[in-house]
Amino acid sequence: MIAPRRRRIVIGCGCLALGALAPGAAASGAWHPPARFARPHEASEEGGLWGMFDREEARLKRSAFLVRDPALNDYVTRLACRLAGEHCADLRVYLVRTPHFNASMAPNGMMQVWSGLLLRAANEAQLAAVLGHEIGHFLARHSLERLRDVKSRAAFANFLSIFFAAARAGNVGQFAQLGVLASLFAFTREQEREADRIGLELMTRHGYAPGEATAIWSQLLDEIKGDAVTYEEYAGRSVLFATHPPIEERQKLLEEAAREIGRPEATNLGADSYRAALARHRTEFFADELRRRRYGETLVLLERMRKAAADDGALEFFRGEVYRMRGEGDDLEQALNAYRHAAALHGAPPELFRSEGLVLRQLDQEAQSRTAFRRYLELKPTAEDAELIRTYLPRE
Amino acid sequence: MRLRSALLAAAALVLGGCVAMVRMGPGTVTVRDAISVSSDGGWNRLDVPGGGGEVWTSDGLSLDVLTFFVGIKDGEPLAPAPMGSRRVPPAFRAAMLPHQIVELYEASATQDGSTFRLERLAPGAFAGAEGFRFDFSMTRKRDDVALRGIAWGAVVKGKLYLIAFRAPRLHYYAKHLPRAEATARSALIRP
Amino acid sequence: MKLPWLVLRAAALGLLLAGTALGQTNRAAGFRALPQGAKIALMPVNIELFEIGAGGVPEPRADWTTTALRHLKDLYRERKAKLGAQVIELEDDGDEQVAELNRLHGAVATAISGHHFGMLPLATKDGRLDWTLGSDANVLRQRSGADYALFTFLRDSYASGERVAAMIIGAFFGVGLPGGIQQGYASLVDLRSGQVLWFNRLLRAQGDLRQRDRAAETIDALLAGFPQ
Repeated sequence: MIAPRRRRIVIGCGCLALGALAPGAAASGAWHPPARFARPHEASEEGGLWGMFDREEARLKRSAFLVRDPALNDYVTRLACRLAGEHCADLRVYLVRTPHFNASMAPNGMMQVWSGLLLRAANEAQLAAVLGHEIGHFLARHSLERLRDVKSRAAFANFLSIFFAAARAGNVGQFAQLGVLASLFAFTREQEREADRIGLELMTRHGYAPGEATAIWSQLLDEIKGDAVTYEEYAGRSVLFATHPPIEERQKLLEEAAREIGRPEATNLGADSYRAALARHRTEFFADELRRRRYGETLVLLERMRKAAADDGALEFFRGEVYRMRGEGDDLEQALNAYRHAAALHGAPPELFRSEGLVLRQLDQEAQSRTAFRRYLELKPTAEDAELIRTYLPRE
Repeated sequence: MRLRSALLAAAALVLGGCVAMVRMGPGTVTVRDAISVSSDGGWNRLDVPGGGGEVWTSDGLSLDVLTFFVGIKDGEPLAPAPMGSRRVPPAFRAAMLPHQIVELYEASATQDGSTFRLERLAPGAFAGAEGFRFDFSMTRKRDDVALRGIAWGAVVKGKLYLIAFRAPRLHYYAKHLPRAEATARSALIRP
Repeated sequence: MKLPWLVLRAAALGLLLAGTALGQTNRAAGFRALPQGAKIALMPVNIELFEIGAGGVPEPRADWTTTALRHLKDLYRERKAKLGAQVIELEDDGDEQVAELNRLHGAVATAISGHHFGMLPLATKDGRLDWTLGSDANVLRQRSGADYALFTFLRDSYASGERVAAMIIGAFFGVGLPGGIQQGYASLVDLRSGQVLWFNRLLRAQGDLRQRDRAAETIDALLAGFPQ
């Protein structure tokens, strides 16, 4: 772990660190969100912070890596809006195309959600958990509280700038200083508890199952283990992980807090609505994920998604792709199994048959490869690689 | 980290007098002792010791770039991993199909987070052999610039020969495409 | 090994700075000056300010940048007369075509900085300032109503307290540590042809954009020799 364990090093970046319920905090149902915030005067300390984020937002608006699809943007914005209540009017959601897991919300109302997170959330409740926590930091004005400490202000500005720069870069490979800077700034324990408390409140108020707040972190932990890399190495290349306490620690505290809130009627997962919303983008987000070439992690992710959707042909296809691209040991045979299984299911893209053909050809099973290629061209006659594929089919 | 490594490298190179942009041609030019191509005299070659493909440009490295990955043997990557990266880049295998070579190029081109989209993959003669060509588009992560690209390649006697050209979608791709194509079409593998 | 790295970095910097004394031309061939009453679109300034910690790594300071941006906007307004033309301020309105042109200009400016003024001259250019945005620059002309556009780019870094201390210690041992570099450019583009008509590069180890009066000095250095 890069940051010293004594300090709670968390910045409102999709973090779900939890403490036990703070003394004096209201019992479930008695918490009320604050009234909407007025825009601060530009010359004030708070105003300077807003100006900083406004500039970052203007830059983000121009980025070619923004996911602009109105339908997906509407979906995430509506969810965030529902959770934020009256503050919906001050919220602006930006979806960024990068295969890394992260979300953040700035004091000026700008919210960023990375496609790596969208791909990994199993259902609407999990996304609500992450967004709710961010909104919690926003409603409780934690960034502004921290700014009052002048000494931490510079470090905070630095850190956020690096965070945004990392957002533009998509990873933190080049920001070795991230851990060092993160250690200069910390939300207090109380602030973290508060954000989690508010996040869970908002989630459960709208009927989402609070257990999903823990689940999303367990899932991520399992994935990391999939590539046999150490936590430290993973943290070293992830904006989110470089700045957060260990997942196991937070999970315990999240479970406690959920119990404190009560609300047994909050059981909604929203699995179907979430899958429908993501459907059009999943292939694109998965292509980005495959490009990371972290095969072990991707396989764990796919395994989990398949458990929830055993009849999803597209997921089986992606699994085949991982094996095909890794190509070690008996991976090619595994790939073929996956493609054949996918073909029997619903929803696999035509590229399935191309990949099958490629693997068969690599295994010197020419006749069978030709059958697969023909099927591909039947389904996708205007494929971008049709001309090359036809060279594998004699006299066509 | 990257800034630091880059400066270190730059310092070492400049101090050693090793960096230069040399005019290529006009006429026939040898690349990496592996192929010969013709140049119209409008290209400059960047001489950087240490590996990776040979790089030519007309208007500058941030604009049009013609890269030569030639004589790549089985088990070799297209280019070594960038300084400071612990990642092992994927290796070329002599049995690779054109689709896989596209994926190899894509892995190299997207290391920095840039996006890549294949637009067309077709057979085509290259370097006197039956090869392939592919068209693609990219968005460069560093500065969000939209690029278009094209590459010609072939595997001959177990070695990969690939020439890739890419330039900004606005103005520069169209400006230099015919010249890049002429150079690629002239490629001949040296015995 | 910290020491050799610092020495090499200082050497590299020295060489980069030396490159500015090469005396390359600021003007495209055949361009003398702007015609009377020319309309110039002032593109939104591209600027970032950094702080250099003791280890030498520049860290972005968004609060300084916001301040500097405010100073520059005011200063440009004051200098409208000096530019000798009608200046139209272009705001960032999210127009995708303008954004793409802006990004292309960034890539062109990088080429000019590195290959025309920098240490990697392109033999084929033969010392000429010969770069263009292409005919798509007309989009900007239509949007702004101007015939020319002025792009400004600035990156400035400042030594932190710890860095200054390291510099003092370094000086004691005879090792020169750079305190911070100011680099940037001002670029004048003909929006009809897309041609870069005039380009001025700034690369020096002085200047302070955080204070209004000192920022004025930077703007004047940037616009030195502006072809009015």
